[in-house]
Amino acid sequence: MANTETALKEAITIEGAIGAALVDYTSGMALGTIGGGKEFDLTVAAAGNTDVVRSKVRTMEHLGLKDEIEDILITLGTQYHLIRLMKGRGSNGLFLYLALDKDRANLAMARHQLKKIEAELDV
Amino acid sequence: MTAAPTAVSPMLLRLAEERATGVLVRDHGALYLADGQVVHAESPAAPGIEVLLTAGGRLAPEGWQEAVTRAGARREVARFLVDSGQVADGEMEICHLGALHDAAFFALAPGSGPTRFRYGVAHWIGAVRPVPAVAVAREARRRRGLLDSVWPHSEVDTAPLRCRPSGHGATATPRQRTLLELADGVRTPSAIARAVGRPAFNTLLEVRRMAAAGLVETPSDPAVPDPAPLPAWVADFAVDPDIALLRRLRDALEASL
Repeated sequence: MANTETALKEAITIEGAIGAALVDYTSGMALGTIGGGKEFDLTVAAAGNTDVVRSKVRTMEHLGLKDEIEDILITLGTQYHLIRLMKGRGSNGLFLYLALDKDRANLAMARHQLKKIEAELDV
Repeated sequence: MTAAPTAVSPMLLRLAEERATGVLVRDHGALYLADGQVVHAESPAAPGIEVLLTAGGRLAPEGWQEAVTRAGARREVARFLVDSGQVADGEMEICHLGALHDAAFFALAPGSGPTRFRYGVAHWIGAVRPVPAVAVAREARRRRGLLDSVWPHSEVDTAPLRCRPSGHGATATPRQRTLLELADGVRTPSAIARAVGRPAFNTLLEVRRMAAAGLVETPSDPAVPDPAPLPAWVADFAVDPDIALLRRLRDALEASL
């Protein structure tokens, strides 16, 4: 049974990972972060990306889509940003956020690993 | 109305520097420190961790009661719940952090009366994951800024939630509808948060969003009552708890069970 720290430590070992965060998407608070640095403030990224998730959830409601978001991929020139929504019984609006270096990352692998981390965290 | 840009509580930062252990009591809540780090927080305006844990049936109320009875005296309630397999490790951490920051937001509300500190007091929930005091203060400030960026009228935070007649196109999200269903003209956002078992801040944020969208009324009268202050006895507890007396009480209670 993983806690948030081990989950994040595992996330940062994903090939090409720059930083990762576990975020409460209602409040925009990062419950935990790993990596990042001066040029990449993960708490700012966490707060900002809650708007991305909220906006997509809202759009799906407007479209009448009865479905759930598994993950959201944002592709930059040099990075991938991966948002994985957590589905556990208690994860009332949590998501895992992972920033990857595009040159070093294997996107398919990273998605798979992030899914596994989510399952292990099991909140 | 808006948060002061200055430090939320200079005393908190000073206590963090001197690595103090004890409880910081302000008008709208209390922060528990261990070695200068925040280990727990409570506020009458925020649902306690037991509400968040038992909401939605994640933990049976009896399970919580049992944990308090068996591990409360040795201040290991959280540990007990995890070790007995009732709450997963990660779940406990996330729930505890949620409760901590939620209560801290109210406890650190700007200008909320005098601040007192009792050295040596520990909370019975026990060690989960300590948070640096600066991080708690920063998060409380961020939250205040976020609320004001959504709808800069803090009156809606403490007034009873009242729906506005619809007809102007705005629709509530499912999450917001849950809150609106409980808006009976008496319940405040804090009371609604407790009823649905969600953090009070999350509810405030939704309420401000709904106020901005015209779905709920923003009271024109700013003279609304403050959220319930902490009962006076909280600050009056003895510096030296009478351990012997507490032990005798516990033994007597256990014997009578």
